[in-house]
Amino acid sequence: MNRFLARNRLILLAYAGVVVLLLVTALFSPGFLSPANLRSTLVLAAFVGIVAFGQTFVIIGGGIDLSIPWVLNCAALLLTMMAGGQDLALIWAIPLLLAGGAAIGFLNGAGVAIFGVPPIIMTLAVNVILQGLILVYTGGSPTPSTPALIKFLAVGRVGPIPVIGLVWVALGIVATVLLSKSAFGRHLYALGTSATVAEFSGVPTARTTIITYMISGMTAALAGILLTGYSGVAYLGMGDAYLFTSVAAVAIGGASILGGSGHYLGTVAGALVLTILTGLLPALNLSNGALLVVYGAVILVTVSISSETWGVLFQHLRPPAREKQGETSG
Amino acid sequence: MELIDVKDLSKRFGGIIALSDATFSARAGEVHALLGENGAGKSTFIQILSGALRYDSGAIHVGGSEYRPQNPDAAQSLGIAAVFQELSLIPDLTVEENIWFRHEPLTWFGTTCRKRMRAATLELFDRYHFPAIRPDRELRHMTLAERQIVEIAKALAKNPRILILDEATSALPAIEADWLLKLSRQIAEEGRLSIFISHRMGEVRAVADRLTIFRNGSTVAVHEAKAVSDDQIVTEMIGRQLDRLYPVRTASRTERLALEVRGLSSGHRLRDATFALYEGEVLGVGGLQGHGQRELLQALFGAAPSKGDMKLWGKPVSPSSPRDALTGRDGIALVPEDRRGQGLLLPKSVSENLTLSVIRRFSRGGLLDKQQEAGLVREMVDFLRIKADTPDQPVGTLSGGNQQKVVFGKMLLTEARVLLLYDPTRGVDVGTKGEIFRLIRDLAAKGYAILFYSSDLPELVHVADRVLVLREGAIAATLSGDEITEEAILSAAVLDKAA
Repeated sequence: MNRFLARNRLILLAYAGVVVLLLVTALFSPGFLSPANLRSTLVLAAFVGIVAFGQTFVIIGGGIDLSIPWVLNCAALLLTMMAGGQDLALIWAIPLLLAGGAAIGFLNGAGVAIFGVPPIIMTLAVNVILQGLILVYTGGSPTPSTPALIKFLAVGRVGPIPVIGLVWVALGIVATVLLSKSAFGRHLYALGTSATVAEFSGVPTARTTIITYMISGMTAALAGILLTGYSGVAYLGMGDAYLFTSVAAVAIGGASILGGSGHYLGTVAGALVLTILTGLLPALNLSNGALLVVYGAVILVTVSISSETWGVLFQHLRPPAREKQGETSG
Repeated sequence: MELIDVKDLSKRFGGIIALSDATFSARAGEVHALLGENGAGKSTFIQILSGALRYDSGAIHVGGSEYRPQNPDAAQSLGIAAVFQELSLIPDLTVEENIWFRHEPLTWFGTTCRKRMRAATLELFDRYHFPAIRPDRELRHMTLAERQIVEIAKALAKNPRILILDEATSALPAIEADWLLKLSRQIAEEGRLSIFISHRMGEVRAVADRLTIFRNGSTVAVHEAKAVSDDQIVTEMIGRQLDRLYPVRTASRTERLALEVRGLSSGHRLRDATFALYEGEVLGVGGLQGHGQRELLQALFGAAPSKGDMKLWGKPVSPSSPRDALTGRDGIALVPEDRRGQGLLLPKSVSENLTLSVIRRFSRGGLLDKQQEAGLVREMVDFLRIKADTPDQPVGTLSGGNQQKVVFGKMLLTEARVLLLYDPTRGVDVGTKGEIFRLIRDLAAKGYAILFYSSDLPELVHVADRVLVLREGAIAATLSGDEITEEAILSAAVLDKAA
């Protein structure tokens, strides 16, 4: 564990950020730290955390998934249409939608890993295509009624703890096992650090890439399903906000946006930071426009502090490069 | 009159002392060799001279006046140009664009004047007798050796008073290395100073007037090159007597075929190669750089597409990826050409690098058995005597020689018994070189079959049982026993047999 922390100072930094933000928020609006409010913050953060689950894997592997918003949105819309408010239908609807998300991820991954399309282009194109398809399919009208079970998963509680918080914890465990305890995790970090070295080392690079996008597709779909429970309906555009936040949560969590480093435990802190921030800003009594400007700027600053800048700074503080000397022989 | 005079130069990086009271002085009109093991401070020293690093204390005088370089531009304006091993070239630009980068001849409109740039390039090439390189080629399509030559051209384009060559020959094949030695002499004869760094004693002998030896960040000796023996130099470099560099070669080859290759072609660089490699044999591969060695090794390893027949231990194989090649005991493993770009994940730990190719082996029901992994890592670190504080140390912070040992360890862990080595001693200090040669012979004695490409001829002569010489992508000669001499390899690499 100590080793883990030593290697992941940026994750600690992100959690320190969470604490600082909580304190600052408590100053501006004392009611913020009430149990009810903390709970609703946790629920909102969980959605960001679930969406960013897959994004974490994709980014560590050196890619990026921009198709998340409409995978999420499609899953949400299709769920309400398929289930028609009936819990029983969920038995087949949920697995089908998760599989559908994975299939979209497979398409993304195959495009990137096998056909060599840059991840930004591939996933952005898929995003637009999904948007178009779902517009055609639904005729643009929102659909009513979410099954009760989904509502329970999204906003229900077990004792004082939100159900979705438990889902999130479960995901955190799964992610930690995959990243820190499995051969797949090693392959993934190798791939993101250097695809060439990974290839020369016998790492199944294409397969690993495809799996990350499949995970991302699946968690985006899962988030879509759960969001219908939170808002009670599915509507067009409900996933748009998650494009930026999913990437920002990963970056604030200390991952290099270029791949090869980071951890889901960092992303969890990133999701909390972003959500608390969203809760804090309205207390500043700004107009909606000004709010967005501040939100964007704060995220920009946070991301740059938590990822690249600090990484680079730390490197300069350390004795640089016996590496260099070794190589150039000094 | 000393052109450059350095007194009591010191430099620390945090707790690490890179230079402590180093002295150095050299005259205009000489080739001055700077020698020392990896980590002796040579690199730091020349990085300071070229303005890439600042020093903590001491004094440098250039041409009689005090010199405190703040950045590389300051060094350049004083006429100091350095050629580093880490190339500073831009892959998307052409040869001439790289050479004149930030110093392009301009037209009236402030755009680059291509005509004058071309003329200046050709004049430069002509003046220093450069090997044939087309000025309009993009760097990305060029070999490491060719890029190194461009880097040299870039330094010379600044018409320096002091030219520093940091192991510039290590990436060059024999003929080009020879040219570089002549070029060093030319610089000296024109009344300028050439500071020459190399791990190859023969080159230092051939070119240097005087030499300065660094050890542990300090100057231990300055010699007239003619007045000192190789043994003395090596002893002063490493601070002790070195066992012989090359191990005794005991015949360990059996009659069992390890690798059989018939009509192997790859790209337009490797044509129709046919040869056999036996169990317990070290088969050398020689030839001028860019004559198909890379393609040969990469094709065998599945890293480049190829046509032809290949049998491993009697079984036909056709690896289409390194993954296909790395199949445990019956597989084939490679020490790649580019340690940093192909061999190692520099920010990752020694341990993670060592086990990357075999990580699945430690998987128990989906979870990694980290204790088993750590045990194997410890064994390998001990076996190869890898100098790292802990197995968790990032591999990028190790010296070049230790990095290369990690690459070897990673390869050995795959348990493959057919090994492909691409110039495994490049950028490795002389002590580690000796260890690598011994390792190669020891492995052969244990029944490994080893294909060993080296750009340094004496290595082939002293380590290999047989040598394949490649010319224009075809096997031009197969030498064995007493036939293996530097002359024989070189002439087969250059000449047609008929001639």
